[in-house]
Amino acid sequence: MNHPAQAPQPPRWKEDFPINWEDDAYITRKEFIKFLGLTSIVFLFGTCLTAGRRWLRESFQRRSPPMSIGHVDEIPVGGYKLFRYPGPDDPCILLRPGPEQFVAFSQLCTHLACPVHYQAETGQLVCPCHEAFFKAEDGTVLAGPPRRPLTRFAVVVRDKQLWIQPVSKVDG
Amino acid sequence: MRTGTGHRERLGTVLHMVMTLTIMILLAQLWLFTVALETVEIQGGSTMPGLATVLCSTVGCAFVWMLIRFFLRTEHHHARRSDHDSV
Repeated sequence: MNHPAQAPQPPRWKEDFPINWEDDAYITRKEFIKFLGLTSIVFLFGTCLTAGRRWLRESFQRRSPPMSIGHVDEIPVGGYKLFRYPGPDDPCILLRPGPEQFVAFSQLCTHLACPVHYQAETGQLVCPCHEAFFKAEDGTVLAGPPRRPLTRFAVVVRDKQLWIQPVSKVDG
Repeated sequence: MRTGTGHRERLGTVLHMVMTLTIMILLAQLWLFTVALETVEIQGGSTMPGLATVLCSTVGCAFVWMLIRFFLRTEHHHARRSDHDSV
């Protein structure tokens, strides 16, 4: 025997705990403006964090001690040497464009941090990822997408030994 | 003599202005955040731009919360007045 079709009964919990979904999704002006206030705090926090990160990094670089990277005769004129400074994850390149001229840069391209390579014949540092070219004398951008020069380090020669240190130590 | 509707409209306009100002300040704070991000990438530059962005963002945040306080007080006053009018 077939029973007549009945409308499905709502579950018991819905009767006990009725939820009005329309009211639940309703956002008052008060809630919205409080959300804007919290967003403002998040932006402030982000700005502080970003500025603090720069300050921390600079203080770390300022505190990093000079590092010896070898003898002057190890690098021929027009040659280069790779090293890591100030940390083991910071690749750098030391160039010798002239007999008494030494320059050192971070090897990370200021565009997307690909490693740059030295081209002695053109006197340029080249990033092969997006074809960026930097001047080997001072690290300024010659062509390509980067907008900032390469990070430079100071090279000091003491007793025919090459020492790397942050630029600020030499300036100060 | 002020009518209830005119008063409500005036309050509504003030509240809209507060919200517009708050959103404008938030956009300015977002821009300051991008400026701070940009200064992080520049090596060997001055730390002044970073400090300036933090200072401006703090002022903006304080102003936003002042506006929110004003908004809440105005809305509270508006609700009380509506209750009074209805009675």
